[in-house]
Amino acid sequence: MRFTAGKLLHGLLLILGVTFLSFLLMVWFGPDQTYSLIGKNASAEEIASVRHQLGYDQPFFARYFEYLRELVTLDLGASNASGEAVRSLLARTLPVSLALMIPGFVLGNLLGIALGLAAAQHRGRWPDRLITGFSVSGMSLSFLVIIIALQALLCTPYGLDLFPVRGWRVDSFASYLQYATVPSLSLILVTLGYNTRFYRAVFIEEYGRDHIRTARAFGASTTEILWKHVLRNSLVPVITRFMFSIPLVVISGSLLIESYFGIPGIGLATFEAITSGDQPVLKAVVGLTAVAFVLLQAVTDTLYRLVDPRVT
Amino acid sequence: MARRFPGLLHRIAVAAALVLTAACSEPANDSGAAEATVYRHAMDGAPRSLDPAQASSVYAKMLVVNLYDTLYRYKYLARPYELTPNLADGMPQVSTDGLIYTIRIKPGARFIDDAAFPGGAGRAVTAEDFVYSLKRHFDPATRSRGAWLWQDRIVGMEQWKTDGADYDAPVPGLRAIDERTVQIQLITPFPQLTHTLAQGFAAVVPREAVEHYGAGFAINPVGSGPYRLDGFDSSGATLLRSESFRHEPFSLEAEGADPAAAGTGSFEHLEGRAPPFIDRIEVQFIAEDAARWNTLIAGEADFIKVPVSQFDSVLASRAPPRLNAEMAARFDLAANLESGFVHTDFNMDDPAIGYHPDPDQDARNRGLRCAIVKAFDWERRNEVFYYGIGRVFPGIIPPVAPEYDTSQDRTWTERDLDGARRLLRESGWHADNLPTLEYGFPSSVTERQMFEQFRSFMADIGYPAEKIRPLTFATYGDYARAYLNREVMLVTTGWTMDYPDAENTMQLFFGPNASPGSNSANYDNPEFNRLFRASATLRPSPMRTSMYRNMNRILQEDCATISGISRTLILVWNREYTMLPDRSFVGGFFFRFVDRAGAPAEEPAN
Repeated sequence: MRFTAGKLLHGLLLILGVTFLSFLLMVWFGPDQTYSLIGKNASAEEIASVRHQLGYDQPFFARYFEYLRELVTLDLGASNASGEAVRSLLARTLPVSLALMIPGFVLGNLLGIALGLAAAQHRGRWPDRLITGFSVSGMSLSFLVIIIALQALLCTPYGLDLFPVRGWRVDSFASYLQYATVPSLSLILVTLGYNTRFYRAVFIEEYGRDHIRTARAFGASTTEILWKHVLRNSLVPVITRFMFSIPLVVISGSLLIESYFGIPGIGLATFEAITSGDQPVLKAVVGLTAVAFVLLQAVTDTLYRLVDPRVT
Repeated sequence: MARRFPGLLHRIAVAAALVLTAACSEPANDSGAAEATVYRHAMDGAPRSLDPAQASSVYAKMLVVNLYDTLYRYKYLARPYELTPNLADGMPQVSTDGLIYTIRIKPGARFIDDAAFPGGAGRAVTAEDFVYSLKRHFDPATRSRGAWLWQDRIVGMEQWKTDGADYDAPVPGLRAIDERTVQIQLITPFPQLTHTLAQGFAAVVPREAVEHYGAGFAINPVGSGPYRLDGFDSSGATLLRSESFRHEPFSLEAEGADPAAAGTGSFEHLEGRAPPFIDRIEVQFIAEDAARWNTLIAGEADFIKVPVSQFDSVLASRAPPRLNAEMAARFDLAANLESGFVHTDFNMDDPAIGYHPDPDQDARNRGLRCAIVKAFDWERRNEVFYYGIGRVFPGIIPPVAPEYDTSQDRTWTERDLDGARRLLRESGWHADNLPTLEYGFPSSVTERQMFEQFRSFMADIGYPAEKIRPLTFATYGDYARAYLNREVMLVTTGWTMDYPDAENTMQLFFGPNASPGSNSANYDNPEFNRLFRASATLRPSPMRTSMYRNMNRILQEDCATISGISRTLILVWNREYTMLPDRSFVGGFFFRFVDRAGAPAEEPAN
């Protein structure tokens, strides 16, 4: 009970901290949307009227408390740019981003774990050097280069011309595969290098522990050592990386992909909100991301306990 | 473990093959559905709102004029541009004093079926709808971006706004005389009024829909245009032919076709057919040049505005722009001169470069501005940033305006380094006492390159590089805020004309329009202002044209702006389609005339 209460309090403070800092940045450094909403020959009175409608003339803390009220009641208002209700915008874009990012995210991590295990098992030998070289190359390539190269290779007559260049007209599993394959491949390629390097380091550290040497001395097979001893005992950092990547991948990771592949997801909506200063959308995304972090943290704590009983 | 890998790899390979097979197969069509024609139009930007009151961008206008009706539009094929009735039943009847406009609305125009209407069935468009639509612009709650077109023009409108914008209260100067007749009474003659009624801002909206959807009206358009919206998000919009759109046979003559002009023959097959000719238009919003280009090449778009970076691989010649053989086999081309121009204004409110209370210093400042104008190299600017196919012109009457003077003096757009140095010398400027210039621009690679080019031009007359500083802003909104608050010394902006009448560019330098109005130079010349006022109520005539040209000359002699260039857009489309695309005054009105004659349909209608 005390543990749960402590976690709840910690989560609440985190949400307050994140929302306060982000709101501060939005208000002080974010774009002023007034001048994107006024007409060509606006008078000073009209500018003042738009500022009033946007709430810019309210004191900072009044606006911040209003923001908290909106979050608590989930009354997130409407986008200043399009007029669409923010809840409707989230309901429309979030599932698209999840459908787009989950396969690449999961596969990128699973492949990273597999390659990390293989590299750790063959440490210092050619498979390790090959995998490490591949990882460093992957990390060195810009996301943008990977996207443009894959588009040219797989989606145009210059290459194999197998998939659509862009779009998201998904109404069946086949069409989903058509539109999601190249973006997913891009995501896998760009994350695989980082994932493999991280998991390799984790597994190598685990390989060097006494209990692995003991297991070998007792005649445990390679498979048993890999799966039962190395992977299982490395699950805490693996889970940490996996869980805490989720909000970042869904929100920021999808930005370039959604932009270049013309996919109407939350990343693109967030980017547009940032560049235009559409505060209702930004406030909702930031606030809900903070809540998602707290929830994921709770889930992660539970998973820690499941995989390692020593965690209290 | 070593023996397990091949088995695992085999299973992964089989699964991947199955997934790729499914992914590469085309999604199945509804076999029973009727065939429909599809046109896929890629735009280089996206509209955020489809509310006509917010339709300020070229992208929003492109869609709005297809979803809604305006009273007037521009003829599809006439160049120079000419107005023609759209929802209006003829051109307006104008009183002899030019103050009262009476306009009849065509019978048979209907709003599409929508949940906003009782029983979900659309209804006839009435004169009252137009009155409501124009009133909306003056309701502060609408946050209109188009109200300025009619600001201080219509009798009683400002009072209506002051009195609380009650839609049930009448506006004396804006009345529905009967179901189909609108009467507009102006405060002073406004010869451009009919042009303003061809803007997306002037589209007719039903009150029921605005009240039903509230703020969401911006993404739930309910209009009487040739198309209705089937889907809209940040990546694109799908338009379906509106079954309730009125039947109006196409006429080459009515659309202003010139029988002697090349290419007119390609539209002859449209004669007598009722637009819109395409059942489904898929508009894709693709800001990234590489992605837009790939989409065209892959055959996933039928139209794009070609990125400047691809001009070399597309064009065989620049003057006139002509496609190379490989491209010409698949595509047609239109070189569309933009209906606007790019210019760099001096902030005349800044005593370091603009007006100064001391007459001597004022004259020295003018000398400095003129030296900068003379040192600016328009040829290089055109060559480096516009592929050499932009149109450089002196002053602020761009080539697309009917008042453009082809024989005017081009002194102020021809680089004259000796003249510039002489002006500096005669005005008492030298490297040590030249003021520090702050050149503003929103942060982007191209804008930065333009700044650096400007700095190199000025270096040629001895302006020290450290005295020309960049003033960068994260977004265009921030930049606009700064220059509208008179905080930027050199303001580079583009202006897209709202209608083909140089009054629309002259007002950019009319004193009372100073910041935060559209006169971002804060230019205020009494003679210019007098001519503007005198010409504002005149109908097009040689005398008015002469007044515009005089104003243009005054502005150039004051050296208040470095101007200007109209960009040439290269528009390319799939040869299977017949069209004359336009990003200028016709804009989105051309969608209804796009035709895919004789070609098999691609996809079923929804």
